[in-house]
Amino acid sequence: MKKKSKILLCAAVLVCLALLWLLQALLVPKYMTRSKEGALIGEYYANAGGNDVIFIGDCEVYENFSPITLWEQYGITSYIRGSAQQTIWQSYYLMEETFRYETPRVMVFNVLSMKYDTPQSTGSSEQREAYNRMTLDTMRWSSAKWNAIQASMTQEERSWEGEFSYLFPLLRYHSRWSQLEKEDFQYLLHRDVVSDNGYLMQTGVKPYTTPHAERPLVDYTFGENSYAYLDKMVQLCESYGTQLVLIKAPSLYPTWWEQWDAQIQDYADAHNLLYLNLLEYQEEIGLDWSADTYDTGLHLNVYGAEKLSAFFGKILSEQCGVPDHRGDAQISALWQNKADTYYARKEAMEAQTTN
Amino acid sequence: MKKIMICLLAVCLLLSLAACTTGGSESSTPNNTNPDTTEPGHENAFSFTYQGTEIRLYAPAEPIVAALGEPKSYTEETSCAFEGLDKTYYYGSFYLDTYPQDGKDFVYGFWFVDDSIQTNEGIRIGASKAQVESAYGAAAFNGANAYVVKRDGGVLTVILENDVVSSIQYSISLG
Repeated sequence: MKKKSKILLCAAVLVCLALLWLLQALLVPKYMTRSKEGALIGEYYANAGGNDVIFIGDCEVYENFSPITLWEQYGITSYIRGSAQQTIWQSYYLMEETFRYETPRVMVFNVLSMKYDTPQSTGSSEQREAYNRMTLDTMRWSSAKWNAIQASMTQEERSWEGEFSYLFPLLRYHSRWSQLEKEDFQYLLHRDVVSDNGYLMQTGVKPYTTPHAERPLVDYTFGENSYAYLDKMVQLCESYGTQLVLIKAPSLYPTWWEQWDAQIQDYADAHNLLYLNLLEYQEEIGLDWSADTYDTGLHLNVYGAEKLSAFFGKILSEQCGVPDHRGDAQISALWQNKADTYYARKEAMEAQTTN
Repeated sequence: MKKIMICLLAVCLLLSLAACTTGGSESSTPNNTNPDTTEPGHENAFSFTYQGTEIRLYAPAEPIVAALGEPKSYTEETSCAFEGLDKTYYYGSFYLDTYPQDGKDFVYGFWFVDDSIQTNEGIRIGASKAQVESAYGAAAFNGANAYVVKRDGGVLTVILENDVVSSIQYSISLG
């Protein structure tokens, strides 16, 4: 082949790759105006490093804790690596990935996801796959991401070799062309930051009025797979000298059964871990369920999250020895910027809520 | 050269259209193309009748809720990321759960909380293990404390405490 032809061939290949990349960028969901939870995991990388506390878990972490409050009241630097219906195997691999970027003093894990033992137990296959995408698609490529994909895929995903669609999301989203919206074009090449260090703010108020009923279970015993990943978390944190703290956030629903609570307490005792069922501290936290929730008790709004963070920060500071960095000018300047963004967002959302 | 470029572009196009027949639905709930009818394939899903109203898994919830009248209590649950609300209605003897899809609600499940109502096979809370086994067969026993019957995309779970029925639950299958 002549040299000119080779150059033209290379150029053609590059043009094709660029077109495919652009097509993929257009078709993947942006998570900017709806289902913002899907953007959370990807936002960590710009904030990786320098965090003394990392929260890992499902909506009960990214809706309920405010890193800005932890900073302002205790000088604690923290980040929330939360995502919608994050499973324990995803939490483990996110933890593993986090240690590639930094070694926090404390890793806080919300234990609600212990109730899901397998991908099949987490909901309908379509919903599970959609949740998987929201956690996995914006993880950076690493063995942790690959292993998280393998652990997360439903049987249906496996049946059509779904891992390739995680490698090349275009294979998954090619049919979205008929559902493209304004945000798909608006955010083709960039994304806004939707969270404040992983905290997804809500300013609405929808009081808790009626207990949420939940069906009795056939078996309240957590599954072997869940325990296996919890064991791996313990070992991983030990290997880095990081304190693993188990929490159950004070969300009123889904039900945190007393049988579950007892199992986690037993596990924490056996492994010398701090476990806090924050449902038992509602009064000390000062939660007012007529004002501090935006969805009748499932999650806290920003006012509840600030109260909970003020309470939990004291534990992190006094019981876990997390240092106060407010005397460090450089760190203070960085966090002042974060706080400014936080309050601007809060003000804008409050204005929107009242309108 | 033109041929090579055309081939490459064709490969791009094929790649982008590849797996059109493979999974990956964007929806988060079961797919019902007609929101006014029970999901296709589930017309014979589990049901029970309460005060003349038939309540069937996967059925549109609106006419059922309207026929049942004012519930004793009602709660809504948001999903972590999806739009729409899961709803729970309490009618004194049972709870009714619905899930949203395409702007309408469908029956996700129902479960009994007292012995004033019974399954279509005549089992109510307080029934004996022998009665349950007679109704659903020994094969449905999980070996511990429940009988689990799967049919037409639904699951019936009868939980026993001390060999007496303590809970009767129906739900759509998560598989």
